[in-house]
Amino acid sequence: MFEIRTPWQKLVFALAFLCIGLYVFFPTYWMVITALKPGQEVFNPNPTFWPRTISLEGFREVFLDQRIWVYLRNSLTVSLSSSALATLVAAYAGYSFSKFRYRGRKTFMYLVLTAQMFPLVVLLLTIYLMMRTFGFLDNYLALILSYITFVLPMGTWALKSYFDQIPDSLIESAKVDGASRVMTMHRIIFPLAIPGMVSTAIYGFVWSWNDLLYSLTLITSPGKRTLAPGLILNYMGEFQSSWGTMMAASIVVSIPVTLMFVFLQRFFIAGLTAGAEKG
Amino acid sequence: MKRKVHSGRKLTESQFGFLLALPALAVFGAIILYPLLNSFAMGFTNQSLLRPGRQYVGLLNFERIFLDPNILQVFVNTFVFVACTTAFSFSMGFIWAMVLNQGLRGSELLRGITLVNWIIPGTAIGFLWMWIFNGQYGVLNALLRGLGLIQENITWLGRPGSAMAAVVIARAWQTLPWYMAFLLAGLQAVPYEQVEAARIDGASNFGVFTRIVLPNMKFIIFLILILGVIGNLQHFDIIWVMTQGGPAQATTTLAVEVYRRAFQNWELGVAAAIGVLWVLLISIFAFFYIRNLERDS
Repeated sequence: MFEIRTPWQKLVFALAFLCIGLYVFFPTYWMVITALKPGQEVFNPNPTFWPRTISLEGFREVFLDQRIWVYLRNSLTVSLSSSALATLVAAYAGYSFSKFRYRGRKTFMYLVLTAQMFPLVVLLLTIYLMMRTFGFLDNYLALILSYITFVLPMGTWALKSYFDQIPDSLIESAKVDGASRVMTMHRIIFPLAIPGMVSTAIYGFVWSWNDLLYSLTLITSPGKRTLAPGLILNYMGEFQSSWGTMMAASIVVSIPVTLMFVFLQRFFIAGLTAGAEKG
Repeated sequence: MKRKVHSGRKLTESQFGFLLALPALAVFGAIILYPLLNSFAMGFTNQSLLRPGRQYVGLLNFERIFLDPNILQVFVNTFVFVACTTAFSFSMGFIWAMVLNQGLRGSELLRGITLVNWIIPGTAIGFLWMWIFNGQYGVLNALLRGLGLIQENITWLGRPGSAMAAVVIARAWQTLPWYMAFLLAGLQAVPYEQVEAARIDGASNFGVFTRIVLPNMKFIIFLILILGVIGNLQHFDIIWVMTQGGPAQATTTLAVEVYRRAFQNWELGVAAAIGVLWVLLISIFAFFYIRNLERDS
């Protein structure tokens, strides 16, 4: 799109590439390198940019910590369930908004879209009281219900734009062949929207996995804690002495979402920017 | 869906469609609509987490908020945080998208790795930047000392101004890939013939950018800026991990303030009153956002 021919243009390009590249990539490099340094090398006022000795001390400490395993299991339980449920709810809603006409449809569509605008912490004031009243405090149901709702705007719209591309004639011909509406939806339409479903599921998983505010507030007993608040409560008090371990722990929490993303990147970017290309 | 309608009549098309949207509407009502309205009402009561029940207290909470000398600071902090993170992250993301759009070898790979910053948990990002900005062993101090820019180590997170700068840089780092992804998609949708026609007319890179790229991407730029502002306005994780709103309230934004009032001081009523002011503020943005979406479709 832009010409890079003259030395001046080359300089500008190279500077932009280097400066932003450094900003984007160096911190992650630093996290990995710190996690791989032995304890005394981490606490060097003149840090080494390449570790003199590679050590897995930090990771060992993380994995020997029983609490981390509990948090990991809890986070997986919550994230997998809310991701699956959110995808299902969003698929039905997206299909409904795309292929059916009824009173209030447009209002509902925009209502769902506004869900991401209201301050989550303000909603949390009531959600906290509500869950306490129903006895769902310290129960994963409280987290899962909240996460489903927060994933809906993105998920519903991504899936709606998938369903919009599927011609109505496909539904008509399934009807002529004698398929019921429920069957048409599950067997014919949904499989065509798999990329959208996958990106919604990833989005839902990442959202639940990364959330701090709700998991910090709605879950109170140590045995039920998920990773994000768990790590804070584990390391914040003693942070002066354990930077290597903290970096190793940060890598450990980042790996599941990163792996998921790497394998399914193509789906995800397509889903994420589905609306953008139309604009 | 297995439940049959008793009379044996089949649902009409629109009834069926409505039924499909029902689960979404139900959770929306329970987790967004009711909490929003109730939190609004709560702002006019003395609701607390320490005792059951609540009484209507009129505008008392708002009075307390406006009489609190720190509240202005919170609004200013929020403004600075939102404006700086959005502007910085958006411009870096835009430049990065243009760089990667040049079709250099390995661009695809770089784009993929860039997105990792956005996908990893805010807690991990907070830890990472705390470590980079660490006053004793942090790599930033070491780098700046090495370049001769500073003589003494700076306790970045211990001073009001630099603490704010630190959380802005960390949050901008997290969202840069998000802007990049949208802007890259937008760049790829710019009609190539228009660029070529401008080139034939002798347009420079700058001319192509202002006359072809920007006008074509107006809608997407507007959209992501609005969404970016709304997201930054509610951001909590990184600030909470890095500074907990300190030092001396210097990084306390609305989100942190509401959390603290509610779940550390147990004053839900006051927290909700701040929320009321906040939602009014957002409605202005929401209005423009929805109006633009409608105009587009």
